[in-house]
Amino acid sequence: MASIKLNKITSVWIISVLLLFIVSIVLGILMRLNQGEVISQSPITFYSNMTTHGLTMIGIWFVAGMAAVNYIMERYVKTSYTVNVLALVLTVIGILMFWASTFIGHFHSAWTFLYPLPFKEMGSETWATLMFLGSLTVLGIGWLIWSISLMTQILKKYSIPQALAWQHLRKNPTVETPPFILISMITLIGVIACLLAAVVLLVLFYAEYFSNGNFVNDALLMKNLTYFFGHTIANEMLYLGLAVIYELFSEVSGRPKWKTTWYVALAWNCTLVFILTAFFHHLYMDFVQPQGFQIIGQLASYFASLPAAGVTVFSIFIAVYRTRIKWSLTNLLFFIGVIGWVIGGLAAVIDSTISNNIVLHNTLWVPAHFHTYNAMGNVLFSLGFFYWFSIQFSDKTKVKKSTTLTLALLLIGGIGFLLAFYIGGAESIPRRYSIYPSELSIGASLATIGAAFASIYFIAILIFFFNISKRCLKILFSSS
Amino acid sequence: MQQQSIFVLFLVLAGIATIVFTYIFISSKKAAAEEKGMSNPLKKRFWFSLILFVILCIFITATIPKSPYYLFADETPARVIHVSAIQFQFILSEKAIDPENPSGESHIELPINELVEFRVTSLDVNHGFALYDSSNRLITQVQAMPGYVNRLRYKFKDPGEYKILCLEYCGMAHQVMRSSFMVN
Ligand code: HEM
Ligand SMILES: [Cu+2]
Repeated sequence: MASIKLNKITSVWIISVLLLFIVSIVLGILMRLNQGEVISQSPITFYSNMTTHGLTMIGIWFVAGMAAVNYIMERYVKTSYTVNVLALVLTVIGILMFWASTFIGHFHSAWTFLYPLPFKEMGSETWATLMFLGSLTVLGIGWLIWSISLMTQILKKYSIPQALAWQHLRKNPTVETPPFILISMITLIGVIACLLAAVVLLVLFYAEYFSNGNFVNDALLMKNLTYFFGHTIANEMLYLGLAVIYELFSEVSGRPKWKTTWYVALAWNCTLVFILTAFFHHLYMDFVQPQGFQIIGQLASYFASLPAAGVTVFSIFIAVYRTRIKWSLTNLLFFIGVIGWVIGGLAAVIDSTISNNIVLHNTLWVPAHFHTYNAMGNVLFSLGFFYWFSIQFSDKTKVKKSTTLTLALLLIGGIGFLLAFYIGGAESIPRRYSIYPSELSIGASLATIGAAFASIYFIAILIFFFNISKRCLKILFSSS
Repeated sequence: MQQQSIFVLFLVLAGIATIVFTYIFISSKKAAAEEKGMSNPLKKRFWFSLILFVILCIFITATIPKSPYYLFADETPARVIHVSAIQFQFILSEKAIDPENPSGESHIELPINELVEFRVTSLDVNHGFALYDSSNRLITQVQAMPGYVNRLRYKFKDPGEYKILCLEYCGMAHQVMRSSFMVN
């Protein structure tokens, strides 16, 4: 069971994530206001804020998932407290360096920093690109050590085939792999793979930077590496959240624990394959990419939905359908989060169809779908965990009236904010435009509406922030 | 229009998902303590997955042949336009463009109902080459990548002015990087 030290560091993670979330949402709302021409920022300010928003969001929801998985993993295997602290320290240093590169140095290559833009930015400080690459290096090292450490701890207790639950594919397995361990293992493999790709990517960036023009990278290779890293990490974040749900949903609902069966084992092993190959859909519009990869991209993106829907979502159906369960804020957030995840997934599958992608690629449809499964999916998974963590030492579990109101704000705000993005996508409005050309002025109106709804969502997040941090601070400063 | 049907399809699917989840949630709220939940869950799970699998396969076979890589692949283009993207403009020319000394034509006219091929590259960072018709709808696009030439083929069905917008983020003036041409 969790030690006092682990409780405290998890509290620090939670408070830090929520604080950074608040700053990032404000930047997001400012972006929508600028696109709506309600305020007027210089393009460089807009794009460096966009870069800050994007990478900070990815970073915090990744570490939120990792901190939750680390916390729960202690139930099964011993985890390293030192590594947990090291990851926190490196994350803080990395974020500070990153913010220095964007807020002070005006680095503005977007969170995907697609080669060779970081070398050809105009209007940013000369040191900004190096500072940005340095910040990624610090974050990458911290996260790599953390994920390798967690995986090592799993492998001290389970062999590799056991951790991947392969014995469940046969009849009458003798050892049982808990679903939480299986999903954590699958996810950590993906996380480590994409962080290693990031290392290669960074080395190639540094090599060109320090070669004085003697070494030039290949743009297509760099783009493949960038999206292998970027797509994969953005998806693995969600799976970290799902690992937590597999563990906690039944527990907080007062139901028997979920078990690993042959189809759960099969589904998650397939997921590993699909998630590592789906990133090809980011290169559909690069017609020079080998065509086999394009087709793999669509197949992997489509079939990734099969284990997700047939196993995870259906398990939620079974757990809830006609079953009297204890509804609390935790499992409500999980349940609503799964809806957001499914709906975002539907929009993603539509976009991953090559013949649709040609009219959706880099339009607002893209932020529409990924904000759906982040802002209305993964964020709710993590909030559910945060809430569960913060109240585990008190006995209040009933849903209060005021909580229902907060949830309503979150839903109304979230849906309106997302719809403005979806309609924008269907109206051919490009993504990553600080302001829209006059022919596409509907984009500006939609942006203003989006900002208004995002502010409602923001209020709900503030309420959650106060409630959860208050309790986390108590845990942090209590002596027992 | 394709975008409209995509949006409607999405709303329908999202609506179905919401209804299913809401129905399941309500069934839990209404459930009596002794109720046993779903009967035959394994069988239902099997059918649910199988139906989903079949639907996915149908969509795959229907959509993959429509991928842009196969469109007009065995026809010979009537016109070829060379495109070089550079922060923050598009250079268009009937002739190949010299990367050392890039220059193009300011006025391009393209034929209607004939196959046009755009040979798109970039002289600095990645850009996007997206075509918008006279009602400001995105009709097709391709990436402009340094060191590579992407060939985009298209047959224009309506006369008028078409706009080119940059659809890959390329820096501080990305939002004003644009060009246009006439089709008649
Ligand atoms: C209410 C909360 C949020 C608001 C108002 C917001 C707003 C925005 C806006 C306006 C953009 C730029 C869209 C464009 O391309 O024109 C954006 C991009 C982005 N957002 Fe959010 N967002 C929110 C929540 C989130 C969350 C929870 C995540 C979690 C991962 C996230 C991740 C991103 C990423 C990765 C980008 C792409 C940045 C880039 O293009 O480099 N956002 N957001
Ligand atoms: Cu651009």
